[in-house]
Amino acid sequence: MLISYRWLARHVDLEGLDAHRVAELLTLHTAEVEGVEPFAPALSEVVVGHVLERVQHPDADKLGVCRVDVGAHAGGTEPLQIVCGAPNVAAGQKVAVARIGSVLPGDFKIKKSKIRGVESVGMICSVRELGLGDDHDGIWVLDADAPVAAPVGTPVAAALEVDDWVIEIDNKSLTHRPDLWGHRGIAREIAALTGRALRPLDTALPTPSGAATVQVDVQHPGCSRYVAVAIDGVRATESPRWLRMLLLAVGQRPIDLLVDTSNFVMLDIGQPNHLFDRRALGGRPIVVRGARAGETMATLDGVERALTTDDMLICAGDEPVALAGVMGGAGSKVAEGTTELLLEVACFDPSVVRRTAARVGLRTDSSTRFEKHLDPLLPLTAAGHVVQVLRSIQPDVTVAGPVVEGGTWTDPTRTIDVRPQRVRHLLGTPVDDERIASIFESLDLAVERRTPDTWRVTVPARRATKDLTIEEDLVEEVGRVLGYDTIVSTPMLAPVAPAPRDRRRELVRLLADRLSGTGRFHEALTYSFVDESLVSALGLGALPYAIAVNPVAEGMARIRRSVAPSLIGKLETNLAQRSEVRLFEIGKGTRPEQLDERGQPHEVHRLALVLARANASGSPSPSATLGELQTLLTDALGRTGAGAVDFVAAPVVTPDDHAWAHPRRRMAIQVGGSSVGLVGALDPRAAARLCDGADVAVAEVCLDALLELGLTPPSYRPIPRFPGVKVDVALATPGDRPAREVMDLIEKAGKGLVASTELFDVYRGEGLGDGRKSLAWHVVLQAADRTLTEKDQNTFLDRLERMATQAGAELRRQ
Amino acid sequence: MDIEAHERTVRSRIAEATDADALRAIEREYLEKGGVVADLLASIPTLPPTERKAAGQGANALKRAVTEALESRRAALDGAQLEAELAAPDFDPTIPARPLDAGSLHPITQAARRLEEIFSSMGYHVLDGPEVELDHYNFEALNIPKDHPARDMQDTFFVSASGDRSDTSGALVMRTHTSPVQVRAMERLEPPFRAIAPGRVFRQETTDATHEHTFHQMEGLVVGDGISVAHLIGTMKTFLREVFERDLDVRLRPGYFPFVEPGFELDARCPFCESGCRVCKQSRWIELCPCGLVHPNVLRAGGIDPERYSGFAFGLGLSRLVMLRYGLDDIRHLMGADVRFLEQF
Ligand SMILES: [Zn+2]
Repeated sequence: MLISYRWLARHVDLEGLDAHRVAELLTLHTAEVEGVEPFAPALSEVVVGHVLERVQHPDADKLGVCRVDVGAHAGGTEPLQIVCGAPNVAAGQKVAVARIGSVLPGDFKIKKSKIRGVESVGMICSVRELGLGDDHDGIWVLDADAPVAAPVGTPVAAALEVDDWVIEIDNKSLTHRPDLWGHRGIAREIAALTGRALRPLDTALPTPSGAATVQVDVQHPGCSRYVAVAIDGVRATESPRWLRMLLLAVGQRPIDLLVDTSNFVMLDIGQPNHLFDRRALGGRPIVVRGARAGETMATLDGVERALTTDDMLICAGDEPVALAGVMGGAGSKVAEGTTELLLEVACFDPSVVRRTAARVGLRTDSSTRFEKHLDPLLPLTAAGHVVQVLRSIQPDVTVAGPVVEGGTWTDPTRTIDVRPQRVRHLLGTPVDDERIASIFESLDLAVERRTPDTWRVTVPARRATKDLTIEEDLVEEVGRVLGYDTIVSTPMLAPVAPAPRDRRRELVRLLADRLSGTGRFHEALTYSFVDESLVSALGLGALPYAIAVNPVAEGMARIRRSVAPSLIGKLETNLAQRSEVRLFEIGKGTRPEQLDERGQPHEVHRLALVLARANASGSPSPSATLGELQTLLTDALGRTGAGAVDFVAAPVVTPDDHAWAHPRRRMAIQVGGSSVGLVGALDPRAAARLCDGADVAVAEVCLDALLELGLTPPSYRPIPRFPGVKVDVALATPGDRPAREVMDLIEKAGKGLVASTELFDVYRGEGLGDGRKSLAWHVVLQAADRTLTEKDQNTFLDRLERMATQAGAELRRQ
Repeated sequence: MDIEAHERTVRSRIAEATDADALRAIEREYLEKGGVVADLLASIPTLPPTERKAAGQGANALKRAVTEALESRRAALDGAQLEAELAAPDFDPTIPARPLDAGSLHPITQAARRLEEIFSSMGYHVLDGPEVELDHYNFEALNIPKDHPARDMQDTFFVSASGDRSDTSGALVMRTHTSPVQVRAMERLEPPFRAIAPGRVFRQETTDATHEHTFHQMEGLVVGDGISVAHLIGTMKTFLREVFERDLDVRLRPGYFPFVEPGFELDARCPFCESGCRVCKQSRWIELCPCGLVHPNVLRAGGIDPERYSGFAFGLGLSRLVMLRYGLDDIRHLMGADVRFLEQF
């Protein structure tokens, strides 16, 4: 909301408070100020000029050459010669002159120029050139409506007394303050904060001069008060300059006296109101009713709107003339020449107005105010204000008949019991009773000290609708008027106790550290929404997803079930930069097929990893990254102490949250024998579509499953006292024999002496026979009680050879 | 040849040797099996008994002399070699070190960890809450009933668990703030307690350099006996001192949030300037977090008697802190997963 400093000064004496000080007071005590800007700074750049003569330009029909007196200027005191194309410029006018060097809106700097051979020293400005509106039909004639007393050469802002500052207040910070949606409300705050008096405002309705009558029939409960006043004798002339300037300062375009006055009153005291053409009502009653299903109406902006039964209408008879609280109807425009009006000032239900405004997408100045729970006492004040303003400009305006009212409303004025001790207690500051009472009184909150400990405070209607309802609200009033800077920072007293251990966070931290450290992964964060095309490329489209019904973009509605797909989606752009990409993310997935009793979907906590290498020629075997990822998982998961890490075959299931994995190159990740996730090569079809066939390994680990296994510090094993023996063995086996079986064979042959086995080569090819492979291992033999000898090694090899032969394998001695 | 002649010969050969191999050859020739000294010792039994003692002593003296001469020559040669190595001009200090292709932790994680450490050290629980949240926790229990204008302050993503785009029940939302954890915490913990809850939050808005539909916040909540605004100020000052490693002035100004009463915006003195800068938009204050005393309706929603306990809550913008800390000019980097961004942290 924009607040004009000059406008504020109509309501409270601002002597000694400049606009910045006002803004600071509001910031510290009332609401958030977003900025303080001078109003139309160009008005201080341009000066009053007197057009002495206008003659025809010798070479251009539409141009005139003017001599304009601007008093003293940089070049002397001679009148300036200015070429001007405006049709309305004439000798004798007072005009706004931009001299050489002046800067107008849009960074437009005035320079000496020659126009069709005639020198022009400056510019006579239009309203639009000064940033005051759209009018560009001609120059701005300053004395068109009233003489300009200031001498030539005076800056226009000062000459017309329209210099002003505009204070922008954040609307959100006024959400709870219906009373601050007009200048008078803000002025009331300044008055309370500085101990000044609010200037009186005469809003009394004059005695009706006639008996014009209109019927009001409120049928809708969303209209608690409807005030109708017939007004005669109004002409829709241009508003006086002071009114137009105030409206321009707060960003409203002046239209004519009727519209301007209606807007002025709304912006002045915060009460929306509407002027109908009484003749157009044709004697029909005003009916406030709900819209019927299928009903439509055209609003003032010319849009035909489909209505629902949630909407509330103002009708003439049965014909809708306004969408209540939101916007007038196209047909309710006051016709030219009308002097008989009907003023509507009403109190509408915030929810009804809010719903309609939101549904039709029309957030108007009116709806914004009604949404805040306006004071039902305000309509009558506003009605009087409208009439008084009109009469101050057109003295023959009269009230044509008695005020007619409809609706049922109650005075919201309320009392709240407040304990001064609790005020001190909650603020944590020793403010005394007298100060508390004086703050309440400065805010028109009457205090009745029923007992020394409990006071009864009466809240005026304008603040009682929604804003001040409980004791804590009054605590805030004391605190903010007092100034929070007066409260002394105090340490809390609490038992000294450490926060409890948080194993989930410990686990997450351990994994993230290990993976970003030795694992050399970058931790990424990606959206909780997954892209439609990614989901389908990964074969995950048929799974159940929760969705955002109003997604940020089409195709971004699905809420992810797991984290790995999001990371896979980030591979292509990263592989365009790097030949190798390692990313991990710790995040959440949402499983809508598991709703709790309150309808909340189950949330899973996941660690996802991708390891990708661009498909360069001469790259290693297709799933080189898979083995690497297994190594890194073994390391990181092993660090949790939850148990030994192992990988076992994982068949494809349906439906499959791991559909991104290669149907065969996929393994369940086991920790201590429990499955905690899946690791696999990216399905080659997905890899081709999503990342140019890169070699990609992907894993997803369920942190909840891992957590269930418990975190234990690594257990100590004594360092062997006797040296071990390293033996390399190669075993040729049928090609489909799992390495695990060969490893088991080695361990069995060692009879407890095998301390470790490490596969270092897999060979298929010449010399082995069809379909056979050779697995080469580093084996360490070790005993706890003696140094092993060559004899032990030979015994092992002999036994392994025997067992291998029995198992259809062959020990290849080296 | 007598011992002395042997000794003269071998000494001069050792002195002339220029490398370790030559010395080794001499060592073998004189000292090892079948060498000169061994031969001398072996010949002793063939000598007359009267000469044997002297011959034995002579052989041993030769052995000692050769050993010592070898040792000192070796030391001399090693020293010379070392000196030559030390003086060698073949080292180029400007050869660039190979960069380490290291991993990284996301800056949000790093910031969250720092804050968790600070608050844990002050006895705060670290809590978590769901991203797909019930309307009840995100709005209703936070004193934001249906049709409350404050609902418009938060551009909410509405969620359908059934995946139905026409679902308008509004029972589920992407949480618009971390504040739903407040009532969840009250339901779980017995007062007095202190807790923080970092996490991602969602707003339905178009993204640009300063707006993201997904960003990170950290909620703070303290409930206890006689908790006051003065405690809130004290806590925030302590926390800021830890984050910025110096004392920063703070100021509270009124701010409206339905779940606190009174509600504030907390500003801190700009840590980046003395007299106005781009970060603080020349105001010397930076808006840090909304906060306030927990509204009695919220305490009640969490099963806590507002007459017995009071509390304060605050909502830190984690993403904003990270942007301030690193001078980020585009918030979209945070969720972009671009390695060129991530590797900088
Ligand atoms: Zn600054």
